[in-house]
Amino acid sequence: MTNLPVLAIIVLAPVVGALLIMAFGRGQIAPKAIALVAGTVSLTTSLWVFAVYDRAAAGYQFVTSVPWIPSIGVSFTLGVDGISAPMLVLTSLILFTGVLVSWNVTERPREYFALLLLLVTGVFGVFAAVDAFLLFFSYEMAVLPMYLLIAIWGSTRKDYSAMKLTLFLFAGSAMLILVLVLTYWAVGANTFDMRIWASHSFGAVFQKWVFLLTLIGFGTLIPIFPLHTWSPDGHVAAPTAVSMLHAGVLLKIGAYGLIRLGLVMFPLGWADWRMALALIGVINVVYGAFCAMSQTDLKYVIGYSSVSHMGYVILGLAMGDRFALTGAVFQMFAHGIMTGLFFALIGFIYEQTHTRVIADITGLMRRTPLVAACFVIAGASSMGLPSTAGFVAELLVYVGLVIQSPWLAAAAFIGVVVTAAYVLRMLSRILLGEPSAAVAPIHDAPPLRFVPMAILAGTIMLVGILPASLYTIITGSVMPIVTKLAGG
Amino acid sequence: MILVPASEYAYLLPEIIVALLGVLLIVADLIWPAYDEATGRSKTWPAYLAIVGLIAAAVAVVPLASVSKTLFNGIIQIDPLAAFFKLLFLGIGVLVILMSVNAVPKFTRWTAEFYALMVWTILGSMLLASAAELFTIFLSLQLTSLPLIVLVGYAKRDPRSGEAALKYLLLVLVSTSVLLYGMSLIYGALGTSTLSEIGAALAREKTINPIVAMGLVLLLTGFAFKITAAPFHYWVPDAYEGAPTPVTAFMSVGSKFAGFALALRVIVAAEAVPLNWHLIFGVIAAISMTLGNLGAIRQKNIKRMLAYSGIAQAGYLLVGVAAFSSWGIASLLFYTLAYGAANLAAFAVVIIVANAIKSEQIADYAGLSKRNPLLALALTIGLLSLAGFPLMAGFMAKFYVFLSAAQAGLIWLVAIGVINSVISAYYYLRVAFVMYVSEGPAEPMKIDPQAALALCVAIAGVLFLGIIPQAAMVAAARAAASLFGG
Repeated sequence: MTNLPVLAIIVLAPVVGALLIMAFGRGQIAPKAIALVAGTVSLTTSLWVFAVYDRAAAGYQFVTSVPWIPSIGVSFTLGVDGISAPMLVLTSLILFTGVLVSWNVTERPREYFALLLLLVTGVFGVFAAVDAFLLFFSYEMAVLPMYLLIAIWGSTRKDYSAMKLTLFLFAGSAMLILVLVLTYWAVGANTFDMRIWASHSFGAVFQKWVFLLTLIGFGTLIPIFPLHTWSPDGHVAAPTAVSMLHAGVLLKIGAYGLIRLGLVMFPLGWADWRMALALIGVINVVYGAFCAMSQTDLKYVIGYSSVSHMGYVILGLAMGDRFALTGAVFQMFAHGIMTGLFFALIGFIYEQTHTRVIADITGLMRRTPLVAACFVIAGASSMGLPSTAGFVAELLVYVGLVIQSPWLAAAAFIGVVVTAAYVLRMLSRILLGEPSAAVAPIHDAPPLRFVPMAILAGTIMLVGILPASLYTIITGSVMPIVTKLAGG
Repeated sequence: MILVPASEYAYLLPEIIVALLGVLLIVADLIWPAYDEATGRSKTWPAYLAIVGLIAAAVAVVPLASVSKTLFNGIIQIDPLAAFFKLLFLGIGVLVILMSVNAVPKFTRWTAEFYALMVWTILGSMLLASAAELFTIFLSLQLTSLPLIVLVGYAKRDPRSGEAALKYLLLVLVSTSVLLYGMSLIYGALGTSTLSEIGAALAREKTINPIVAMGLVLLLTGFAFKITAAPFHYWVPDAYEGAPTPVTAFMSVGSKFAGFALALRVIVAAEAVPLNWHLIFGVIAAISMTLGNLGAIRQKNIKRMLAYSGIAQAGYLLVGVAAFSSWGIASLLFYTLAYGAANLAAFAVVIIVANAIKSEQIADYAGLSKRNPLLALALTIGLLSLAGFPLMAGFMAKFYVFLSAAQAGLIWLVAIGVINSVISAYYYLRVAFVMYVSEGPAEPMKIDPQAALALCVAIAGVLFLGIIPQAAMVAAARAAASLFGG
């Protein structure tokens, strides 16, 4: 059964889709249909992988390997563990819903969907890579479509935001090139296979500085304070599906890469910088929440709330114990689904009302009850209310945090309060009251638009009420890392 | 007098073919003039003749790719490295001539002579790849430079072309004098002119002879002019902008790589000199990358931008030299392929656009994605490869170069290199932005089919090297190994 190269199907379905779109995607419907098929293939395959993944076994599963550039020891090796399997599901969910959300893109649909699929290929490649070069290659591959998608189809200072985003990400990846070449020679086995890298023990000084490079490189992507400024601008300028992918998936590459190349490879370096990392995490949580509080544009609110929520992931990585690290990965998934939903909702509202200014939107509950219900679910997850995915994730991180450092937990808790404040303020403004002039003429989401929202909202509730499946798959792969970080 | 066995000439068959090709072009033009006085139009046969001749020469190079032999008492070296460069020069020649079939008659009526000069400068470059003796190096270098001076000034009616030719002439004079002075010092100090004997003599000496050191520095300065390395790059933007675009296209890759072909053998001979070559070349590489990229940011003319980008790319190539190992040289050779393909793709688009709208200003590329989507895509691919985005050759090439620099412990140089990649992404992406986002005229753009074919070949090369680089890396590694006697 596992002889089938399922991971290759997940990764390559979007590429094939992109090529088909470039070849046959004339008109308005064909590109969308092809993209939807490619998305469906990736989604069903990654759900299947998630379902049959052996939760009792450690290490990578479904490994397929093909030599790629033997001269420098690069191989096209794919595999998943309990951390990457949920990420694959997340990515394909966001891709599938993102294609549905983009159904009414009319400007150059051919290029739009081809680039969208190319972007997702890069993201899948990152999450399925066992070879460090392949991971890096895939990540870089995702950057360029991002630039074009924002620059061509974006809004609000799109040229500035697109260039800023690309240069930040490129600068981050410049650090990662250093990490890769240094580690390659330090291991000295003419390989980029991360399994072999992980079994090598690096010197303490080497670990200290290379971990710092990894932290800056992937941290730019997470994004860590003060390297976060590209992220809200990028969210706002991007078209809806790209915002979903950007906030929902791309930011997770940063955290994922930091686990794979940082924590697993350089545990001593992690120990050197973990307190700094924890501090950054607290700043992200609190500062991001305060920034979100003061925004007037809905997309900027969610953009800064991403900075705040990713702070929990950073805190989880900094604590590095069983609960916090599991919580971090859980939060990556939960936040991905939640922001995906938020951007889908805001995209719909913006299309209908042509505004995203909070003050101009009131009374959505009256006009669009289904959309309003989804807003409430997303908001509840954002605040970390029980029965949502966000609750499980934040609870796990806080358990780890309280055990290790109550003061940090107390500081980060300010963020929870502020988050509740800005989410409730936003929801009460836009949902309650009499419909404003902009809202009055609009109608609730048609079935085609409601399906993606329902899928994402349903996932939030499902994971929040039945977290066990996700929890066990993550913990199974987190435990070896925790042992390694603890010096075992 | 030392006799040379006639059989040794057989190893120079490619060069002989190319030399005769140049003569043939001129003679044939006398008998069947390419320029028709009655209609005022030029026939295109000289271009095709040149292409066929160059391909024939390339076929003749192939059997020599696995031969290592010293000819004519040590003045010519046949080895995989020489074969690699010869194929590279011939390939560049074919692509450049193919993309200029319709562009050349726009600025001159003497097309056959144009191609003959082009062929001879390629001949000079091929000989440089094999030259293993100082005077042979000098003569080959002159053979590459002199036709280029004429070619740069070939567009007689364009004053910028004349100005560029004069600047290039002065540059050639200065760099040649410096080079000759360096050679005379080395010859005077060591009493020999063949590189192998120079290498052996240097290895015997324990201390640095100041005269030899001075000679080597002058020699390397001469090369630095040729490869457009900083701080000897100030001539580049003016010469590139003024020269007819097909000539610029050739200079930006062919002439630059010729400088490397020649520098490599001299550097290996000088390896024994106890100077920190890593540091010397590392510093030159770092300055070239930085000045080139900073200069490119504010350019409005695409040829000038590519000129500055070429200076920066010379810096990346020099990172491979700075690594000074067979890995380093292999990565440099791979980089020449990647850069050659990407840069020729970019120039093919520049030629096509200049033919269609008579402009080289980046601002006039606005709306190109609507006027001709494939052309815009091709230029985007070329430029992104130069910037080092994945799926394209530039990514692999840069990674390979950085890998070899890290092997040599040049971490600081890798750091400067990666930071420079970020800077370069800005100006390469800006062109893509202009093409895809800025509003411009919407009428479709006519494409010249020959240039489009050259463009397709170059783009195929960029993608092939970017996705399946293994075969090229193996070839590069073999050529590099032959330089170190492996």
